[in-house]
Amino acid sequence: MESQSQGSSSSDFVRKLYKMLENPTDENVVRWGNDGDSFVVLENEKFTKHILPKHFKHSNFASFVRQLNKYDFHKVRHNNEENGQSPYGPGAWEFKHPDFKMNNKDALDNIRRKAPAPRKTNQPNEEMIIPAQQMDMMSNQLVATQAQLHALESRYNELSIHHSMLLQEVIGLQKTVVNHEHVMQNVMTFLHNVDAQRRRDSRLGNPFPPNGNQTQNGNVDGAQNQSNPSTEDDIPASPLQHASKLLSETNADVMLNPRNLEHMNEITMRMNGTLTTPPPDLIRSVRPASRGPPSAGSSANSLRLGDIDNLVYPVGQTNGIDPMYSEHINNIPYSMPPKAADSTNTQIQETRKKSAQVDPGWIRQPQILLVEDDPTCRRIGSKFLYAFHCSIDSALDGLEAVNKMNAGSKYDLVLMDIIMPNLDGVSACHLIRQFDNTPIIAMTSNIRSDDISMYFQHGMNDVLPKPFTKEGLLHMLEKHLAHLKKPISHMDGGMVAPQPLASTRQVLKEESPAKSPATASWNSPNPVPGVSPVATGMSEEYLHAVHANPAAYTVQGVPGMPQGNVPYNTSPQMPMPGHAQQQAGHRRQISDISGGENMNPAKRQQMYANAPLQPGPLNTMQRPR
Amino acid sequence: MARADSVKDDAGDRSDHGHDRDRDRDHDRHHHDHEDHEDHGGDIMKIPGAKDSIDEATFEQILEMDDDEDEREFSKSIVYDFFAQAESTFEKMDSNLEKKDLKTLSELGHFLKGSSATLGLSKVKDSCEKIQNYGQKKDDKGEKDITEEEALKKLETTIKQTKQEFHDVEKVLRKFYNDEQ
Repeated sequence: MESQSQGSSSSDFVRKLYKMLENPTDENVVRWGNDGDSFVVLENEKFTKHILPKHFKHSNFASFVRQLNKYDFHKVRHNNEENGQSPYGPGAWEFKHPDFKMNNKDALDNIRRKAPAPRKTNQPNEEMIIPAQQMDMMSNQLVATQAQLHALESRYNELSIHHSMLLQEVIGLQKTVVNHEHVMQNVMTFLHNVDAQRRRDSRLGNPFPPNGNQTQNGNVDGAQNQSNPSTEDDIPASPLQHASKLLSETNADVMLNPRNLEHMNEITMRMNGTLTTPPPDLIRSVRPASRGPPSAGSSANSLRLGDIDNLVYPVGQTNGIDPMYSEHINNIPYSMPPKAADSTNTQIQETRKKSAQVDPGWIRQPQILLVEDDPTCRRIGSKFLYAFHCSIDSALDGLEAVNKMNAGSKYDLVLMDIIMPNLDGVSACHLIRQFDNTPIIAMTSNIRSDDISMYFQHGMNDVLPKPFTKEGLLHMLEKHLAHLKKPISHMDGGMVAPQPLASTRQVLKEESPAKSPATASWNSPNPVPGVSPVATGMSEEYLHAVHANPAAYTVQGVPGMPQGNVPYNTSPQMPMPGHAQQQAGHRRQISDISGGENMNPAKRQQMYANAPLQPGPLNTMQRPR
Repeated sequence: MARADSVKDDAGDRSDHGHDRDRDRDHDRHHHDHEDHEDHGGDIMKIPGAKDSIDEATFEQILEMDDDEDEREFSKSIVYDFFAQAESTFEKMDSNLEKKDLKTLSELGHFLKGSSATLGLSKVKDSCEKIQNYGQKKDDKGEKDITEEEALKKLETTIKQTKQEFHDVEKVLRKFYNDEQ
């Protein structure tokens, strides 16, 4: 109020007070005390009404007294005196300050506002500092978040580049294969020509051995022919050598491509290697410091500059997202909705008592990746899979599926739509087969024999015709997840034995399931005429493998079992299970130290909530059980 | 409508899903069907028009997945999502028909074929397959080649027909889900 405007100029108020007392006209209202070391307000009412406004621009006596108190004036009390009465009368107010004396104007400079007052005015400033610190924190966090976004963005860009490289590689490989076939054809025609010529020659040559061959094939051949009939076989040896030479040349071409892949792999490894090493150390040193500011207050200013990096990690890690860990991509909230929805579904699932529920009797819940761009099919497929007690992850197109599997997610079975945007199912399967052997089932309405043989050629294990039926789907699961079944199957035979029916399905055209939904599953081991032998071969081989060594599939995700996981998968994620454990350890440790377990319950919850559904490293850790 | 005796006539199911845009168009055509229709008692196949447009086994297995046979939350949401999906696909078909983009039309046909087949909407599915084939400049069976002009002509009529079939089956389904204002 006024106090502040007056108090701001060192002792303005005191000087005004002094000046007021210099004026003798008001002596009967206010005057110096008898000893000249105090002043007395004799008539309170008059003082307030007439004198205060003249000198202090207000007419509030209480305010005036408060002002005096601020300057450490004290009301002089007379309780201890004989009569307990003020010498100036009962209504008088006498105020006193050691340095406020009549005839001592210089001493006035010593009168200052009391200490508490300045404290009060400074306190708001302190309060202002703390929000400022918080603002700094906030802006730092913003910067950190932006950094994360950038990191993610660059990671994404990089992945898309890798993807396009991969695709080019595959295209290159396909071209090579085509060239290879051309070469083979050339070789074969060449061989045929040579062979035909040789036979002609030998027919001619036998009656007249020396001459005939000499004209046609030269001296040496003729001589060999004549001297040793067994060397006849050696004659086509030179064309055969030629052929094998050609073959080895094309082989060399093929060899170039894996090298590119390896190179790419190295790049990713190097990049991930450098990125994954620092954080564990940083977590230890940095976490407490950056947790500090909210409580430490005063020290926060020193943290402000140049310590943005420190903030990146805590922000990231309490979120479960650290730009430095590519696998944290699974923790990004906006990728979660489908999973979250899934999880609620599972919960609903558990509380259910539906007859539609079929428990095929798994020894553990199979992890299924459903790759499908059509939401209707995806939802129904997921629903059926849930009904079969499977855990489902879904991908909207082939690209997402490849990325998921390449990121280390392990599944027991992949159900793959064929026609999808971005990357079709066949290409996706082809790419996945470069590093993973998980059974992949084509889920499609395109089931002509040439389509089907193409699916198998690209590494698909089976075909589930669309629209799929519950029974067809269950059959697929039981067929390809036999190793996950409890020893004694309690399934009713009607569902498990569509084999005889399958033969009625020899027409490979689409069929409406109207007539026989139960039989709509495709049975590759019962080859329909026209189906490529590759088809039956593959799945039989696969089944055989499963039966012979059921462990093979259960151990697949464990590092150090690179069986079939040739180049790509060995890259960033192979050492992950251990790493993830280590990291989880860090997290717990940190939060224990800082008592931060409850600091961010929402984020934490999110982190753990992901765990069971995230088929990545966690599942690989569960596997060996 | 004349279904006051329905056992499933609870207000909870009567939410408007905003898909009645095209419904009134063919409203009169089937109106009398519904008039003398008895309660279908939860059996969709008893609804007139269902038999030839819905594949019972396929649709039934989706209904089986409903937790509550009165609310039919799961199947209903799938079916209603399909309505929206179909409408937007038809819009895309129309614009691509104008652009004469056969390839996209074929893809759209394939897309809608997948979901309609999964729901067992056999008529719509068959027509979508034709759209898919025509878009590839093949005949309806996808066997013989046809010219682009033929394809566009056939596409125009087939898309029209598919829409009609869709709206027919949509009515049946809405009736089944007690949503027929």
